[in-house]
Amino acid sequence: MVKRKLGALEKVEADLPNLQHKIRRDPKSYIEDFRAQHYQYESHREIFMAAPSAATDTGIISLRELIDFISHVADCYPEILKDFPQQLIDMLMQHHLVLEQELREKLVGSIVLLKKKDLIDSATLLHTLFPILISTPSKTLRALLFQKILSELRQANSKTTNHKLNRTMQTVLFNLVTSDRTSSKALWAIKLTRELWKRQIWTDAKAVEVMKEAALSENEKVIVGGVRFFLGGDKEREDMEDESSDEETLDIGRLRHTLQINKKSKKKARVAEKAMATHKKKERKKTQPHPLNFSALHLLHDPQGFAETLFSKHLQSSKSKLNLEQKLLVLQLVSRLVGLHKLHIMSLYSYFQKFLTPRQPSVTSFLASLAQATHDLVPPDVLEPLVQKIANEFVSEASAGEVATAGLNAIREICVRQPLAMNETLLQDLVMYKKSKDKGVMMASKGLLSLYRDVGAQMLKKRDRGKEASMGLRSGEKEQRRFGEQETGGIEGLELLEKWKEEERRKKREEKGLASDDDDEDDDENDWAAWNVEDDNDSDDSGGWINVESDAEIELSDSEDEGKDRPSKKTKQDDPETKKDENIAAEEKKLSTLATTRILTPADLAKLAELRAQASVNTALNGTKSRRAGLPAARHTDDPLTAQEIEGLAALSAAKATREERIAHAREGKPDRDEHKSKEARRRERKQEQGKSTTNKEKARRKNFLMTLGKAKSKNKRSLVETRAVLKAHHDRQKRGGKRGNVGN
Amino acid sequence: MGSSAKRKKEKQKDFQKPKLKVGKAKAKPENFTDTSFRSKAIVLNQQSLHVSAPNADSQFSHHLSLLSSKSDSQRRDSLAHLTTTIASRPVNSPLPQPVSVMLPSLLPLILDANNNVRTALLKLLRTLPNNDVQDHVAQLLPYVRAGMTHLAADIRVSAVEILSWMVEAAGEAVVSCAGGWIKTFNCFLSILGWHTEESARWSSNRASFGKSGSQGRPMVKVLGALAGFLDAGIGAPGASDGGEDQLVVHSSSTWPFPLCQTSQHMISDSATPYAYLNLFGQPRDEEGEMYETRGDRFRVFSTRFLPAVERGLKSAREEGGELGRASSGVTKVLKEALSYGSGP
Repeated sequence: MVKRKLGALEKVEADLPNLQHKIRRDPKSYIEDFRAQHYQYESHREIFMAAPSAATDTGIISLRELIDFISHVADCYPEILKDFPQQLIDMLMQHHLVLEQELREKLVGSIVLLKKKDLIDSATLLHTLFPILISTPSKTLRALLFQKILSELRQANSKTTNHKLNRTMQTVLFNLVTSDRTSSKALWAIKLTRELWKRQIWTDAKAVEVMKEAALSENEKVIVGGVRFFLGGDKEREDMEDESSDEETLDIGRLRHTLQINKKSKKKARVAEKAMATHKKKERKKTQPHPLNFSALHLLHDPQGFAETLFSKHLQSSKSKLNLEQKLLVLQLVSRLVGLHKLHIMSLYSYFQKFLTPRQPSVTSFLASLAQATHDLVPPDVLEPLVQKIANEFVSEASAGEVATAGLNAIREICVRQPLAMNETLLQDLVMYKKSKDKGVMMASKGLLSLYRDVGAQMLKKRDRGKEASMGLRSGEKEQRRFGEQETGGIEGLELLEKWKEEERRKKREEKGLASDDDDEDDDENDWAAWNVEDDNDSDDSGGWINVESDAEIELSDSEDEGKDRPSKKTKQDDPETKKDENIAAEEKKLSTLATTRILTPADLAKLAELRAQASVNTALNGTKSRRAGLPAARHTDDPLTAQEIEGLAALSAAKATREERIAHAREGKPDRDEHKSKEARRRERKQEQGKSTTNKEKARRKNFLMTLGKAKSKNKRSLVETRAVLKAHHDRQKRGGKRGNVGN
Repeated sequence: MGSSAKRKKEKQKDFQKPKLKVGKAKAKPENFTDTSFRSKAIVLNQQSLHVSAPNADSQFSHHLSLLSSKSDSQRRDSLAHLTTTIASRPVNSPLPQPVSVMLPSLLPLILDANNNVRTALLKLLRTLPNNDVQDHVAQLLPYVRAGMTHLAADIRVSAVEILSWMVEAAGEAVVSCAGGWIKTFNCFLSILGWHTEESARWSSNRASFGKSGSQGRPMVKVLGALAGFLDAGIGAPGASDGGEDQLVVHSSSTWPFPLCQTSQHMISDSATPYAYLNLFGQPRDEEGEMYETRGDRFRVFSTRFLPAVERGLKSAREEGGELGRASSGVTKVLKEALSYGSGP
């Protein structure tokens, strides 16, 4: 039915918003009017209940408006409206399928409003909305409900974590997923959980459990949803956090300045106050400790069981209906679990066997998954045939460059994780490809070579070993690790801290005029005094900034024999002692004892984090080398291995990439370069942004044309004598150097 | 200028030589898809024009459908048409459409914004036969109650008028149908402002909100309707005409001697004899319950409404004038009812 157009007079007669406003100001005086409207609502409800699907647009006032009105003033008359929330809930629950759309949305909104006014609790609200969400066929209603549920959960968890509510909700979701494994209704559980995970509202094992059950479901969509969560949920969460942390950082100084200059009004004062408050809040947040959130993969209760079930249910079984893409996702998850938790699924490796041919679609993903599924506790004799097969199928003179590159990269990635999977003849054969004409193949082969110089130099031919490796072999300190042998661990970046401490101490000594090598105990006491992180510490004056060495020069290694034993950068910092360079090796031994000989203060730990960040930035800055060499150490164990890394250079080759990709690649190192502009224009823009004034020249240039006309006309009318005088004056002025002159007269 | 250029172009077109090509056309590619299509149109060269005018029945249903029209005057005119059609039909002939068909489109008009439409509606309702109305009171009442509590004063007044018509036409049905007694009474109290002690005082601002209506003396009308309603609900049987009629009906059920109370066992003559069982509806609360006998209604009245009504009547009498006179009518009914008590 077409909505009737209302005349102005009709609106005045039935002015509910006006009444609402008056009631809110003085509920007691208007109780009779409210009662009348409540009866009105009751009778409309009666009419509606008799025929829920019929059009409700009767007369001037509709049920929708009445509901809106009553729910807005509901907190003023709690005893008259005892049953009102329940009535709304019943109306929505029973008739949401046939209700008119606007009325339905109004009902949802009103129920949420009643929750906001604390007339119902959030558990009731969620128990009302969630069943409708998963059963309604209307898309708009689903979107609305989802948004409302989400905001409700966020709101309930905003001050403190509402454990009770979370637990009930998670149980509801868990039951939804597990009750009917073939239905796609569980998608809502996934969507909700993923959203809440992203916003760090749910960070516990129970949420992960919901997703785990989803991944083991029988519906393809649900499976993919669950698997995608494990593969990308944490990344999403990190991105979200980054985004929220570098939201507009407003300049308080400038704000104060503009407040002084501009016209003062109440509104502006309020805006400024608000901005100050948010700024303060942000500052406080900055000093808060970072919340320790585990990734979803770490929160799994039984990774071995989960990975095994995933593998046997979705990959091995012939009944699984997943297509290749979905299978690849599942495979990625299984292999990540295996690699991360060092699980043993022996049949997984034989499963890979049949996919390792160049003709297999998206074979690089399979290769990446295989490499990911490898860890140092996998028996080498399981991996050896796979490596052999990759070498046979992919790496030959006859195969295309991209194929050989992918094969070599895959072999390297496997061998990084389990060096024992390689035999000597194969290795020597593969290393020969370093002379290949194809750049990708050459790089991949060199990568393999440099890897084995590190982990198993005795398998290489003598001339391939390089200087450091052969020296190490001779002195006996470089031995191939045996199966299952573990590396003794340390604290990452500890040597950096030690170095920094050394430098600080030396500086202090130089200030005091002492000899730099004297060891003294008294400044240890100073260290203890600086137990806590000081806010106004002058040593880290940069306040969140990371020092990037401006003159770190990048050297690309040309000679292959040098490998990576040469330091990639030379620091030109003022260090006078050259002897320090000589006994680096000797010092390195000493450094690692720092953690065992003294207790690290919180200040030390803060410095350690800072140094670590600085080091990572430095390596990223001259990162071209490290990326090409594919240093495995740079990668965190949580990060996945992608097909791009296996493809290597081929992904970047000019023929494959589209124009946009190439542009994006070229832009990678230069952020914040929006468009090409002259320096002048850039400066002008910046000035304007900061609210500064323009120069006289600029003003003259921008002056309205019509305003300049008068002067130009009068110029034409000058007599010869006048013109001469003007020119002369101009000449003189030029000579003097402007109106004020610079001679001093 | 534009037209000349256009003309030039047209002229040029005449002298262009078509280029002719020799040989076969170029072969279409293999994956060529033919996207051309032909359309067909159905052409009606005649409208369906009737020679004869539409008969009364079809005209009636047409006007019935026009009741949901957007324009006020259209609705009013259609109502007037329906009224004349019903009123001018031969005596004892059935209605052109049954009441159950007409009501769904009539009911929303009780809340119509336009005064004239509501007046016309009341006229139409008055022409309906009483016994037909009796069966549909339950449908009518929610709309009437909604009208009685409406924000717009005019709608309130006309809803009260409709209620007093209903009481006249089917008094017993109005007070005994589901929700008919308590809910309607609540509406009366709210329209009069008699709910609480505070609001019943003469100094309080009675019509505090909403635009006061253009029709005068609303309170008098309301009081008149209340008197009728009270009389129908708890009036002493025999005192009014309706009660007397019922008594006559009951006593005149002349069954031969050995049969007594046989009328109780006969098939009921009302349309919904088992409505009180509420087999298919929502469960009712106290307010929505049916109060079928006078005794029930009197009990509810005396516990819930009596103090409020007495208080209100007193203040109305004190106000004097026309209002006081109208209130005396209600007082009279109330006195008779109280003297009769809760029943024999």
